[in-house]
Amino acid sequence: MPETRVLFRDIDAPGLATIQGYRDRGGYGALKRALHELEPDELLSSLEDSGLRGRGGAGFSMGKKGSFLPRGEMEKYLCCNADESEPGAFKDRELMQKNPHQLIEGCAIASLAVGATYAFVFIRGEYWEIADILDRAVGEAYDAGYLGADILDTGVRVELIVHRGAGAYICGEETALLDALEGKRGNPRLKPPFPAIQGLYGGPTLINNVETLSNVPHIVNNGADWFKGFGSEQSTGTKVVSVSGCVQRPGNYEIELGIPSREIIYGLAGGPPKGRRVKAWFPGGSSAPVLTEADLDLPYTFEDLAKAGSMLGSGSIIVADDTISIPELALRTARFYHHESCGKCTPCREGTNWTTKMLDRVVRGEATPMDLEIIAGVQEKIIGHCLCVLGDSMAMPVGSMVAKFRDEFEATIEAAREAGHGALDHSPLDRPLTTGAQAA
Amino acid sequence: MRPTDELTAAERRELIASMRPEDAEGVPALGELDVPAALREQIETAMARYPQLRSAAIPALWAVQRHYGWCTPQGVREAAAVMGVTPAYLEAVATFYDLIATSPIGRHRILVCHNISCWMNGADELLGAFCDAAGADRDDADQHGASSADGEFFVKGFECLGACDIAPMASIDQRYYGPLEAADAVAAIEALRDGEEPLSDKALALRPAAGGPDPSATERAPDAEGHDA
Amino acid sequence: MSAERSKVTLVVDGVEVTADDGAMLVDAAKEGDVEIPVFCYEPKLGGPVGACRMCLVEIEGIPKLQTACSTPVRDGMVVYTRTDRVIESQSAVVEFLLVNHPLDCPVCDKGGECPLQDIAMGWGPGRSRMTEPKRHFRKPMPLSPLVRIDRERCILCYRCVRFSQDVAEDEQLQLLERGASSHVGTFDDHPYIAPFHGNIIELCPVGALTAEAYRFRARPWDIEDSGSVCTLCPSQCNVMFTVRDEHVQRVLARDNDDVDAGWLCDKGRFGFQMITSEERIVEPRVGGSRAGWEAALDAVAERLRSAGERTAAIVGGQTSNEEGYLIQRLLRGALGSANITSVDELEAGLARRLAAPELGAAVPDLDAAESILVVGTDPLNSIPILDLRIRRAIRQGRARLVVASERPTALDGGAEETARYAPGDAAGFLAALAAELGNRRQAGAGTPGRAADEVPGDGSDWAEGARRIAGELRPGKTVIVYGERLGRGPGGDSALASLLECARALDLATAGAGVIGVPEGANGRGLREVGCLPGAGPGFAEAPAGRGLDRIKQGLLDGELDAVVLVHADPIRNLPDGPGWAEALRRARTVIAVSAFDDASTETADIVFPAESYAEKEGTVTHPDGRLQRLRPAVPHPGNVHPIWQVLAELGARLGHETGIGSVPEAVATIAAEVPFYAGITPEEIGGRGVRWQERPAASAVAELAAVPPEQRTSRTNLDRDDSGTLTADRLRLGTYPALWADEITDRNVALRFLAPAQTVELAPSDGERLGLASGDEVEVRSNGTGVRARVALNERMRPGAVFLIEATAAENANALPAELNVEVIKP
Repeated sequence: MPETRVLFRDIDAPGLATIQGYRDRGGYGALKRALHELEPDELLSSLEDSGLRGRGGAGFSMGKKGSFLPRGEMEKYLCCNADESEPGAFKDRELMQKNPHQLIEGCAIASLAVGATYAFVFIRGEYWEIADILDRAVGEAYDAGYLGADILDTGVRVELIVHRGAGAYICGEETALLDALEGKRGNPRLKPPFPAIQGLYGGPTLINNVETLSNVPHIVNNGADWFKGFGSEQSTGTKVVSVSGCVQRPGNYEIELGIPSREIIYGLAGGPPKGRRVKAWFPGGSSAPVLTEADLDLPYTFEDLAKAGSMLGSGSIIVADDTISIPELALRTARFYHHESCGKCTPCREGTNWTTKMLDRVVRGEATPMDLEIIAGVQEKIIGHCLCVLGDSMAMPVGSMVAKFRDEFEATIEAAREAGHGALDHSPLDRPLTTGAQAA
Repeated sequence: MRPTDELTAAERRELIASMRPEDAEGVPALGELDVPAALREQIETAMARYPQLRSAAIPALWAVQRHYGWCTPQGVREAAAVMGVTPAYLEAVATFYDLIATSPIGRHRILVCHNISCWMNGADELLGAFCDAAGADRDDADQHGASSADGEFFVKGFECLGACDIAPMASIDQRYYGPLEAADAVAAIEALRDGEEPLSDKALALRPAAGGPDPSATERAPDAEGHDA
Repeated sequence: MSAERSKVTLVVDGVEVTADDGAMLVDAAKEGDVEIPVFCYEPKLGGPVGACRMCLVEIEGIPKLQTACSTPVRDGMVVYTRTDRVIESQSAVVEFLLVNHPLDCPVCDKGGECPLQDIAMGWGPGRSRMTEPKRHFRKPMPLSPLVRIDRERCILCYRCVRFSQDVAEDEQLQLLERGASSHVGTFDDHPYIAPFHGNIIELCPVGALTAEAYRFRARPWDIEDSGSVCTLCPSQCNVMFTVRDEHVQRVLARDNDDVDAGWLCDKGRFGFQMITSEERIVEPRVGGSRAGWEAALDAVAERLRSAGERTAAIVGGQTSNEEGYLIQRLLRGALGSANITSVDELEAGLARRLAAPELGAAVPDLDAAESILVVGTDPLNSIPILDLRIRRAIRQGRARLVVASERPTALDGGAEETARYAPGDAAGFLAALAAELGNRRQAGAGTPGRAADEVPGDGSDWAEGARRIAGELRPGKTVIVYGERLGRGPGGDSALASLLECARALDLATAGAGVIGVPEGANGRGLREVGCLPGAGPGFAEAPAGRGLDRIKQGLLDGELDAVVLVHADPIRNLPDGPGWAEALRRARTVIAVSAFDDASTETADIVFPAESYAEKEGTVTHPDGRLQRLRPAVPHPGNVHPIWQVLAELGARLGHETGIGSVPEAVATIAAEVPFYAGITPEEIGGRGVRWQERPAASAVAELAAVPPEQRTSRTNLDRDDSGTLTADRLRLGTYPALWADEITDRNVALRFLAPAQTVELAPSDGERLGLASGDEVEVRSNGTGVRARVALNERMRPGAVFLIEATAAENANALPAELNVEVIKP
């Protein structure tokens, strides 16, 4: 099955990243239309009608989210979440790198829709070269009058600031992003209040992902019905899916939601190298419970994946083939969340830390089958108890791996026992996790 | 397991005796510090961009890191003075983020992704190759990052860099390269030593979309131009 | 003040509970005797953060468990705190909290009074499955000389860090690193030293932050709690003394939102060592030798009898109302002398008008005020707990702060406007402000006003500053916090009269608005109200005019006075012109001192009575906002120390003036009978929380206080400006100020001594440049041939032309300089 390219249309065409190249393909027409032909409420209802769901992971209706912002004279904000840091996700990076103006136009229109005067693109600090591209494009947009104190001489003000993060996955959590943008440590906030009511600097704030906002100009140009023509009833539009891991053609593919997962993994990404089989796969980034070979024919939609006990999330598929050790995969997964936990809430901070230490022992061959019970039990004690979703993001995939690959965990433990603790020397985690302030 | 490192009574007394009220770090007076003009200007520019000046905390720390190579205590103090906050506030922010260094690091920064997709494609070997080529400690590199003895390189096993499509990959001086093999590590280190652009043929910037630049995809999108005024 | 909040009804674990609408579930549940465990929740620190996850509960209709600390109650809410799901979450959180906790309860100071211990017992799983290595830190590290931190015990509840950020706003204490590596620390391992930092010990729900002074001193079952009031400064915070074996071992906050909002400054928290100091005077002395009470009382009675009306008395701020009342009665009744004053003396008419009940603001009025004017004081130095209170008012976005002062204050950073007048120019500035406010009021009433810059006299830049300040002040919604020091010196009466004019122009005699005067002494207000004021008796009753401080000094020098009684007062150290006082006391025929410690003034004393410490005292004091509070003895008197009220009553009797007062309650009753606006007050009514006399019915009986006609309008032109001089390269205008840590309390507490400031001369950078001075330079500040050595500190917020020295330092005391405005700063 082929791709359906809307956001990725002409993605590698020379000059697309420049304002001229973008305009040559009709770029900024949607902004003009939004400024001259549509009221903010019309914009919002058109977005709501389109069924566009947030592409960052939660899948909430973008138009509805925008309508939660109070009307009236107060400072409102738009934040574009470009902190793409979920293992397996890299779609926003390519969208920003190759078509930055599509995002800028989306930000400008969304700002008009909710009455925001400041829009921020919070881009992860690791994407430095991408941020440079964005900054250049933002400069072009300012020069062309698409951004600034008086955009296209309409008296409307939209300032757009590219804010570079400094390396923390948690800043992709929308309230942590706000704290980080306010110059604090990126800790998630308690909700309520929700950002739509009290967000950045205490003002109403709309937060959307890069891909979500990149869709906005197309919806304004072509209408909600056109957008609904793509995808399934519940999951409208196209979706850029990042596929990586044990596949022959890793990369971003823009598809219509609803095609079988096998088509994405095998048809587009080429499947695992010859002679290997899919053992486990994350359908929606590393925080999604893993699925197995038996699940490959699931239609790739928010609903079907949820029914199968996992999630579509940001649409990032990671494939592990039969050469991959699941206990080690669990350790890599847990270690990531342990490293990225902000530390604010107890179950996440301690649970990710504890789980990582236990999985490390499993991999090193120092665990017993009883430890597996504890690992599974600890995941249950994390789920539903944390301040934000990060703790669950480890507990769900790790819990799913222990549940679905229990035999392999037990075999690993047993093999290590028989081999006499052979793996002790080179585990990356064979020293206690320490910090600079701790004892030398 | 390491035993708790208790402070001896003598050490404690000495430490307490050394503490004076003026050692407490409040907001440093700008007039008392000789803040480099370029640094001050960068921070003040950042402060002016945002509706609230504290939003400039991360840009200020980036500026300090660019100026001094890492966020030195003196640099953090200078940024705090310009921003009118305590250095502790900025240190709290700095230590939260992985890309801000609060201890000295090598000049060229090589971050090797060791997360799931890269690991499955040989990230551990790649990290080892970079460490060997640069002369950095392999175990330290995987934990907190390690610098080479000559101070030229800083190698760190990093969590997902958002480039699983080019696994295994590395960020070298804030540019992405991949997929890489062990030999690329050696070549990259050599190029950096020679002051040259490393691995220019493996730069992410050059990589076309996975589905190909000339899509065989169906095109159901009506022309956007139709609506262009 | 605020309207009663409406009530809602909810069901918690099957019990119907009525609670305030908007209350957090965790608090509302207490109404139904349901305890929901918490660690991070502490309303004193601001809004809930939901970090520890200990308080998860099940609410009908909400699928996920919710944090009770952050969920406001709604009518009809049905809550479960002990379902299987909730119990599982509670045991999970406890197990997680203990993952990295060392469980060293047997050697932990918190043991027995530890929320973590209690909650682990009550809600925890009872066992741990954790077998991994725990995280380790060097420990216990001194965070400051007063506080130690054991990071292994820390459960990362953020309370201490939130205190530093959101309450004290010093932002020195931070969370560093991230995730499981997070730990509490400071910039580059610098010490955390800030005036309120001791509060973090009490906030800590585990043994991670401990007091250096209390480590290994006692277990909860060894100790008794004794509630009283701290009289080390006018904040009069409510405290709980921890007493073991009749010794005060610790001072904790006894939260009273009307007074202290639950915080203590470090002086109040750590200043208790002096109670058991070996240096204390614990028996009477006559002529430098130990004496029994009989002999001492006889000696004093004889000398006072012979001095008669040629006696004067000076009462220090730690004196209670009962002691103050009795000493004034001794002078007025037994000796026929009207020469009684306190270190907070004010002109009687002004004192009366400033005490008008409708003009007085209560401390909680700061919370709801729309604007706050701080004038002539730096709360951090003079009434520290109000510094926190004002910060909170600004932080919560209700109040706009303006500061007018001669010296920079700690609150300047949060102020919308600051005006800085020259030392000694307060009267001029306040006159300009009063004129500006009067004009605005008139303009508001439709009458074109006179511009402030038309104020007669040399307005210099007063008018400009007054305009900026006045622009921020909301009529009827302002609280003015003013330093009673404004009343000192030649322009003092004029300054306070102008302040009253400002209050009138702003309509501050309304509910929720008003003024709070900050005295120098802890009980400055109470002492005036019980009659320690020349020219006014108890309740500001008309009384024969007596000598104030300056004329007492002069009288002693001239030989017109024979005897002086000093109660908790050391004029040589604490009053301007210390050398003058020293000479006056040397020349006095008789000096009688009531003091806990030897100081420069007791050295001159013929007879010394040992003074009680505040932890030993029974009686009452009056807060600057009019709240009467009770002092209750926490520990017995050491040695041969007797209650001072008893000593004074006995002296009166020996001089033939029987007071009939045989107990503290009798003294309170006598005061209540004589001070009309205290009428009927009893220790029971005052109770543990105190009572503002303005809010009692008796206050209305003294409405005439306010009705006392103002003296003729103070002329603004007759201010004594002759000595303002002209600024030359080496002549500067000197101001002095009381620094928080420059006093005998700091000196008498070994643990606090490191905080005592060395003398520092503050200058504007432009003056520093002109004089070739840099911060840190050693200089001499000279005036009329006398000099004080000091270190230079250039301060950008200083007014050019002004220099400041600290009063009452142990060495190089600014009070040692003659009362001269102009000084030279010389590099030796």
